[in-house]
This record gives sequence, structure tokens and C-alpha cells, in this order.
Amino acid sequence: MQAVQLLKKIFRQRDRGQIPFAELFKRFQDILEKNNAAMELIADMDGKMGGDFVFDRKYLSDSVRKLKELVLANAYDLNFITNNQFLAIYDIIEKLAKELEVELSGQMVIRETRRIYYFHEIDEGMEDTVGYKAYNLSKMVNLPKIDFPNGFVAAISCYRDYLAYNNLFDKIASLIEAYRKEEKSVESVSTAIQLMVLGGDIPPNVRREILNAINKTCHGKVEESYFSVRSSAVGEDGEMSFAGLHDSFLNVRSGELLSAFKKVLASLYNPASLAYRLKMNLFQMEMAMPVLYQTMVVSRTAGVLYTLDPNNPDRPECILSGNWGLGMVVVEGQAAVDTFYVSRHTPHAVTNQKISSKKWMLAPLKTGQARKVPGEIQDKPCLSPQEAASIVEAGLILERFFKKPLDVEWSIDESGMLWIIQARALKVSHTKHTLREDLSDVLKAHRILLKDQGMIAYRGIGAGPVRIIAAGDDLTDFPAGSVLVSRYAPPRLAEIIPRASAIITDIGTTTGHMATVAREFKVPTIMGAETATQVLKPDQLITVDAERKVIYEGRIEELLHHQLLEESAFEVTQEFQVLRRILKKIAPLYLTDPNAPEFNPRACRTFHDIMRFVHEKAFQTLLQTGSNPRAFLKRGGKRLKSQIPLDLILIDLGGGISREADSQTHVSPDQITSVPMQTIWAGLSSPGTWNMDPIPVDFKGMMSSVTRTQSSDALGNNLPGVNLGVIGTDYVNLSLPLGYHFTVVEAAVGSRPENNYISFRFAGGVTDITRRSRRATLLQTILEQAGFKVHVTGDLVNARAIDLTDKQIRRNLYLIGRLIGFTRQLDVMLKHDADIERYLAKFINQAKPPEEDQPSNDKEG
Amino acid sequence: MEKTTVCILDDEPIVGDRLKPELEDDGYGVEVFTDSASALKRLDETCFDIFITDLKMEGVDGMGFLEKVKDKCPGSEVIVITGYGTLESAREALIKGAYDFITKPFRIGEIRAAVKKAKKKARRNSA
Repeated sequence: MQAVQLLKKIFRQRDRGQIPFAELFKRFQDILEKNNAAMELIADMDGKMGGDFVFDRKYLSDSVRKLKELVLANAYDLNFITNNQFLAIYDIIEKLAKELEVELSGQMVIRETRRIYYFHEIDEGMEDTVGYKAYNLSKMVNLPKIDFPNGFVAAISCYRDYLAYNNLFDKIASLIEAYRKEEKSVESVSTAIQLMVLGGDIPPNVRREILNAINKTCHGKVEESYFSVRSSAVGEDGEMSFAGLHDSFLNVRSGELLSAFKKVLASLYNPASLAYRLKMNLFQMEMAMPVLYQTMVVSRTAGVLYTLDPNNPDRPECILSGNWGLGMVVVEGQAAVDTFYVSRHTPHAVTNQKISSKKWMLAPLKTGQARKVPGEIQDKPCLSPQEAASIVEAGLILERFFKKPLDVEWSIDESGMLWIIQARALKVSHTKHTLREDLSDVLKAHRILLKDQGMIAYRGIGAGPVRIIAAGDDLTDFPAGSVLVSRYAPPRLAEIIPRASAIITDIGTTTGHMATVAREFKVPTIMGAETATQVLKPDQLITVDAERKVIYEGRIEELLHHQLLEESAFEVTQEFQVLRRILKKIAPLYLTDPNAPEFNPRACRTFHDIMRFVHEKAFQTLLQTGSNPRAFLKRGGKRLKSQIPLDLILIDLGGGISREADSQTHVSPDQITSVPMQTIWAGLSSPGTWNMDPIPVDFKGMMSSVTRTQSSDALGNNLPGVNLGVIGTDYVNLSLPLGYHFTVVEAAVGSRPENNYISFRFAGGVTDITRRSRRATLLQTILEQAGFKVHVTGDLVNARAIDLTDKQIRRNLYLIGRLIGFTRQLDVMLKHDADIERYLAKFINQAKPPEEDQPSNDKEG
Repeated sequence: MEKTTVCILDDEPIVGDRLKPELEDDGYGVEVFTDSASALKRLDETCFDIFITDLKMEGVDGMGFLEKVKDKCPGSEVIVITGYGTLESAREALIKGAYDFITKPFRIGEIRAAVKKAKKKARRNSA
């Protein structure tokens, strides 16, 4: 096999006709251009997720078609310049395109997946694999003040393995067909299928994996543990529409955990569920049932919270009912519970309560066993006012997230800890739903603080006290429910978005990273409101109407209500759901590390991955066309002439070098017109940055440098021994195998912040790995302070910054320039860990910080 | 005062589905049609104050519908929705008397603003 590979390689090399550099170069430019166009298209589609746009299916299919054309053209260009080294890309593109086509047609695509997922393993976009209940639980992991019992989900593949193992697919299909032909009633079809499902055997591997997961979830104490086993339906907005159609089993003990799995699967075909699915015209492939296992809470008190009174939704009150033990119990036709009416306003006071005489309760851990409530607590409230308030607080956090009045199952354990068991949509009477028009008097009574400023990134209404976040502020104490107000939209704010009730930024776009995260957590968001940080005052209570772009003083309950009771949220429209699904195959970037062995066409999971791959490989191909400066000079490269002893060849993609240098073989720094290159150079050549003194290398350092080739390989670029800058008006890719260091900087200054990025990779050095690691730590500290996301492995530093404003990108590129000079031989100096601090201080103090505006580019060191 | 009435005609149901509640929220009386035949039938019965119509449709297309509306209800105003990159037909629609045009996909705020302006115009027409 290996020999065959080797032969193939030799032949390929022999066959390789030399592609003229000019041609190669043009193709590379094309690839860059199409990449940008594709990224804009993706950002545009992502922006449509915010609910402020009306778009139709044609928009979706047009966008996908355009995207596919761009990606295909790039794949073609890459194969052209590499003599068809990457033919596998075409298959990947076709496969993705086909999946997208199916999504566009409204059908569901099911991918092969693992059988078991724990909640923390459930990723973005896996709702079709684990079902909505489990998916939503996994989303709640990040919500403040929400805890739910530990568990896992037996994913869709368990269900399908089960059906396949028992040969049920065809049998079920023919029964459903019989129903469609009106030969059989839903009831008889349902009974027949359920009997078949219940009578099947669980495949050994599924059985093994479920039992393993159970064991792991209860830390080996299977015999003493109790589980709840529930359905986690897959389908259109699953949980909301299928709520109550499937069976759940509580207090399941070890011996019954597997039969409960079968019972839940069978409930997929109960008459109500089957009728609903057939009515919705879902195909059999789309009927699938992941099963959710969770440990039971040993509850002291449990019950249900309605975040609104279903019959009286205009009252700002929640209804809370509960009983000792497991909650509701009906014994001898009598269901006694305590009912509390709790205000939706903080501090959530109990406004009214009905305490019943609760004679019976479900014992926490005995299956369905009702037992007498001890006499002394029968007539006592099962909740304290504080507990009621904390349940309501949690319920309202969930309500904000799901944007619906909810029916929340909760439980309080012996230690007083609150657990959320499940949350689903609550049906309320809409008769009283007020129109906005009817609210005009209410709205008039509130002062308008901002109006018609900025763009809506996520539609909705949120209210809370203002919290203005400035650069460098600690984010850990951001109070849940506050309105996040910020001058900029830096990606670091993403971590507090789930806790915000609304977001307003002065600067930022609806297609940037922050907007994407806000949409993910459904937080009403207005970006680019210009003066929010000036107009709004800390702790001021405001209501953000991110439907009409108005910010009111005070909390307008009526408006919040209005949104909550809206008949249909935009998220449930089919177009929106299709967009969400297709974006999953388009937008995420999984292929982030060009050095990783997975950096290959087969690992591309999205169009974004493919573009990233093509771009990287095309660039490497460009670099590999020469191994010395002369090779690149012959091809139109120009040598940079400066005081700094850095032999740098610049290749202009267009607009990177002043036209007056057209006929020259050398250019001076002031002839560089590439904005990012200019800025890096300004930093690199700033006074004191480039150490001109020879650096003393001690014996230990020198000896270890003999074996230093590892790191250069780690960069994976096969860098030629040439310092090369490929530049365009707003683009730079700088490869610097400077002495023993390897630095790669790539940056784009786009027309919009979401098109801006800087990527910086650095490795190598003259000394032993300890010192080089120290340098990596130093770099990491500096870069993180500047807002980069930094990943360090050994002495390899990978840093990336995105969504930068014009000012920020210039400041950061200037910093990169300084870093290139500063760290050139720094590792030799970093003899002790303490030196890191010293050099950090030196770096920060050394040169004056760059001007906020354009740093001048004519200073040379 | 009588409610200002709006007729929405677009063969993509999503357009009516999204716009109807929004405009009703603003106090308009809204009816939605997804094919021009039934919209025309309704047009025989009544003149809406404002019409919002897509241009590309099966049967009588938006341009034809526009002409019929202008013919039968001279006091009404028509807002035309056009797909991306069909500016030519938008221009033609304006010549034929459309009040405004909006390109798909559009922000809800855009259409609300356009309807609000058209309402004023329609009021002046009838005054």
C-alpha cells in the first residue's frame, strides 16, 4: 500500500508541468477574492437568523447555489495550480451540496453519529441527533441559576440500530402505507407497531453502551440509583410541538432501565403521536426517537411552575404548585397540592397561596408508591417564600431563553437545592393578547431614551438594569438579567451573553461574532446604536424593544408580555428552520489548525472548512515555487530596502505597492500601500523594537539549537528559506523564517469588522524547549492582553483575533510588528521563569504605545 | 376612525405570515393572499387602501395585478416586492404607478415604514 502511494507521488511529481508563476499568482488572487465573497455571503445568511428580515426559500436556494459556485471555482483553481493534488475536494463539495439540497427541500438529513452523548458533549447543531429535549437541556447548561439532574441521551443511532436489528423498518413502513391507503385506522396501525417495537431485542452493542453510560452517570452505584427515562423527540422544533405526546418513566430502577428504553421508543408510535406525524407529513426516516436518561432527584418537594396564569395571562403572576415528595399525587380521586401565586417582578413575592391538607405523597424513590404524609407537615406549606421566589426566578430565566410562557417541572432536594427537570411550552389563552397599538398609552408614559439607532441583530424585547462594560472590565460578576451595554462588540463578551436580558452596542454589526452568539442564546440585541454608552446610565432600569428599535426608560411589563404571548415566533417558520439547518453545513469552521493531521479534504465538514483548506493549500503552493529570494525576485517580487537587516521579498497581489515602484526591483517602506503590511512594518521598525546587538548565546542554548528542526515542521508550511510577504491593499500574508524562528502572520482588513482578522503563528528558536516555552508564555500573555484568542502547544503559539474595528486591527497589527522584532532572539534571554514578567514589563514600557489612529509608517529603526 | 386596510399578495406564504401580525400590531386590517386569482377575486369586492404585491408569480403576475389595482382603485397605493436583482421590473412598476418598491430579503422595519408613508398618501388621495 505504502509503495503504491510512493509511486503515485513520484509519478505526480514527474507529471507536474510547471505552471507559469503569473498564472499561479492570478489563481491565488482569484481564490482570495472568492473567499471574501463567500464569507460575505455566509455572514449575510447568518444575519438573517436574527428574525428582523423576511426572506423566502428562493433567497435560501439562491444563496446556497452562489456559495457552491464560489467553493467549486476555488477548488478548481487549487487543483489547477497543484496538478490535481486535491481531487477529493470535489466529492466533499458534491456531498455537502447534496445534503444542502435535501435540507432546502425541507426533508431531514440524518448523519451517522455516536450512540451515547453526555450533556456537555452535545454540540451546536446536534438537535437532530439527540432530540430537542436533550439538546435544550444541553443549552441550559450555560444558563445562570439553572441546574438539572445528571444524565445522558441514547442518540438517534440507538433507535435506528434497534429498528434495524429487529427488522422493523420495512414492517413499519408497510403498516404506515396501509394507513395512507386508508386500509387501516391509525389506532390499529399504532397498536401493531407498538407491539412489534416492545417485542424486539435491544442489539448487544446498544445494550452495552446504555448500561455503561448508566454506570458512569451514577458513579457505579447502579443498584441504589433511580432514573427517569424520557423521549427526546426529533423533528420540527421537537419539544414544543410534540410535548406530551410521548411517554416518560420516573423512578426506574436498574432492572427496568432497558425495558424503559423500549417503552419510550414504542411511544413514538402511540396513536396521538402517529396521527400528528402523519398529519404533518413526516416520513418514516424523519420519525426518530432519542431517549433521555437522567438520575432522579431525591426530592423533598416537587411540582410545576406556570410562568403565566394560562387563563389570565395578563396578570404579572406565576402559578406554582407542589407537594411533598415527588409532587402531584392523585389518591382516591383526590389531588391535594399547595398553590402559590408569585409575582413576576423581583423579588418575586408570594401574593396569594392556598395550602391544602396533603395527606398523600409519592415517596421519592419508590416506584409509584403513594404513602401517608406525616401528620405534622400535612397542613404546612411545602415551599418557603424564598424557595418559591427562586423557582420563579429560574423559570423566568428559562422563559426568556425559550421566548414562550413555560410549564416547568422542578424539584427541591433534601438540601434545599433547586433542580429543573423539564421545561415545555405552556398553552395560554390568547383572547386577551393586546396589539401594540393598544399599548400606545402605556408606551407614551415611558421616556424614550434611544430610537431608530443601530440594527437589530436578534429580535425581541428585554428589560433590566443597565450594565456598561468597558474594555478590561471583569466579566465574572456580570449580574444575570442585566442589559449588557458596550461601546464595542469584542468576542470576549460572548461569555456573558447568556446572562444578559438584552444587548446594546455603540459599534458593531449584526453579522459579527457577538451578534451570532446573541442569536444563539436568543438575547434581544441592537448593534451599532452609536450613543448607547453615553445615553444610558449604569443601573438605570430600561426596556429594550429590539423589534421596533426603541429603548425606553423603566421596565414595561406590558411590552414584555406582548412579546411572550405573540402567536408565532419567527423561529418556528419553516424558512427559518431550513436556514438554521443549512447554516450548520456552511458556516462553522472546524478546520482551524493547518498543522493538525486532520487538515485534509476528508475532514472538511462545511463550506467554510473547504474554503479555509483551499486558501491554505493555495498559499503553500505559492510559497513552494521558490526556495531562495532570487526565485521570487525573478517572478516580480521586490526586495524591501530598509535599515533593518531583514531580507524581505514582497509580492504584490494588487494595490499592495505604490505604482511608482513598478519598474524597481527594490521598494522602500514608504512605497508599501498595503494597509496591514504598512502597519506591521510600522511596529516592526518602531524605535527599540529591532535589537541590533549580537545576542550572546550560552553554551547550553547553542547546543540545543542543533536539534531544533521539530518546531519548523510543526508549522507545517514547508516554508522556503525566504522571508516573504504576499500583500494586497487590505491583505497580508507574511512568512518569516527569521533565523531560527518561524513566524506566519496573515491579516485582512475588510470593509466590515466581521471580515477583519489577524492570525499569528510563531515557533522555533535557538534554545532548549524550556526557554522556548517561556517565550511562548510571554507571547501568550501579551497577545491575550491585546484581545487575541491564543492557543499554545509546546513552543508553538497560535493566535487569532476577529471582529476588530479599524482602530483595533491597526493597533494589533502594530503590536504584531513589534512582537516580531522583540521576540526575535528573546528565548535566549529568558533564563528563568521570572524573566517572563521582566520582559513583559520591558515590552510594554519600551516603545510608546501606538497612536490610536494610524501609526505612521515612515519610522525606521 | 376606520382601520386602514392592507392586502398582501405573495406566492411565498412566509411573506404574509410574517407581515400580517406585524401590520396588525400597528393597527392595520390585513388580508393575505398567496395566488393572484383569489386576490383579484377579492379585488372585485373591495378596494384596500394599500396593496403589497410580489412581482414574480404564477398566473397574473405582480405587474398585471398592479395594473388592475390602479385601474379599479385609483385612490389605493401599491408597494411592490421584488426579488434580488430585478431592478428593471421595479422601475417599470414605478412607471406604472407603484408607490414604492422593496427588495427581498427585507427588514420588517423597511416595510413598516413604507406602509406608513403609503397610508398618508392614500389618505391624501381620498381627502
